Amino acid sequence: MVTEQQKGTQVDKKEQFITAIHACEGFIYRIATVYTHTTDDRNDLVQEIIYQLWKSFDTFKQQSAMNTWIYRVALNVALYQLNASKKRVPTVPVDEQVLDHHDNDDSGYEEKWKLFRTQVDTLNLLDKGIIMLYLDNKSYSEIAAITGISESNVGTKLMRIKEKLKTQVNKNK
Amino acid sequence: MELDDLKNSPVSPHDQAAQQQLFSGIIDRMTAAKYNSTINRIAYPEIAGSIICLMAVIYIAAHFHQLDSLYLKATGILSIAVLLALSAISFISLQQLKMKGDPGKPYAVTLRLFATRKMQFYRLQKINITLSYLLLVTVIVLMARFFNGRDITGSNIFWISSFSIGYLFLTFFSGLVKRYYKNSLKQTEELLQALQP
Repeated sequence: MVTEQQKGTQVDKKEQFITAIHACEGFIYRIATVYTHTTDDRNDLVQEIIYQLWKSFDTFKQQSAMNTWIYRVALNVALYQLNASKKRVPTVPVDEQVLDHHDNDDSGYEEKWKLFRTQVDTLNLLDKGIIMLYLDNKSYSEIAAITGISESNVGTKLMRIKEKLKTQVNKNK
Repeated sequence: MELDDLKNSPVSPHDQAAQQQLFSGIIDRMTAAKYNSTINRIAYPEIAGSIICLMAVIYIAAHFHQLDSLYLKATGILSIAVLLALSAISFISLQQLKMKGDPGKPYAVTLRLFATRKMQFYRLQKINITLSYLLLVTVIVLMARFFNGRDITGSNIFWISSFSIGYLFLTFFSGLVKRYYKNSLKQTEELLQALQP
């Protein structure tokens, strides 16, 4: 039988989870967008990330900050989902669905995202993860903690990634 | 393109409301335990393939007494072995799809595992093609026996044609797999190199 105390703990856990997810919602959504190519796959990936987070929420041992843990799970699940999405028939591309049907007010801004999406696909999976964390304003030490590579390595890689993206954009102009 | 302009920004400002709606819906389903991992749905075709292989194994075993010559018996045993190996490969591929252990481990650790498994997957694909060819030959022999009562293991025409066609089959499909996975393999190798400490 579930006691009042257990019920209370369950409610606390749920609230804590919801607060944590909402704090990282933007990052999860962006990760899901750059690691998939269709709206269905993107939504499936968001679901899968939240599912894995909820499933392992009890085992989260506070060894790392909650945010670090959420970012790690999001990136790790995105990798596994890559295999899964290859086994499905592609439907509507995200670019068309998300970026093409809006008004023109933010076209410049959205154009930048569209361009970034195209360029980021040329990066390897490690670089892709690093640049997404950088865009989420993470410091070198935070990126190092999430990815598991050294801080100096993060700096070097970020420099190379920026250089590569810049060269590609200039080449395509 | 200034990367810093995209810092902390939503994918699309218009999309923010849809994003919030998506998250609220998912969180509600999740916390009410009304959601199962999508990985399970993806596993169904793999499981169906394995079941067909196992049914074929049972069929051959049940009719094994009809295989009266030594060649036919050997073909029967080989078919069972290949069918079991194909089921095992399917099972291993399925396991590789599933995330095991702690999903909160550092990204580089998961990436290394991911890349290593990818290389294993390509090797399994090659084995899969070779075994499929072998099965193609043995199944023709067994079918002729089970459904027509004929033993074609003594026919030179059968062996010459099956080996020559088989050689073409293997060359064609191996080339196809190699071409199909060439870029992906190269990228995986580069990724493993980038992950070197």
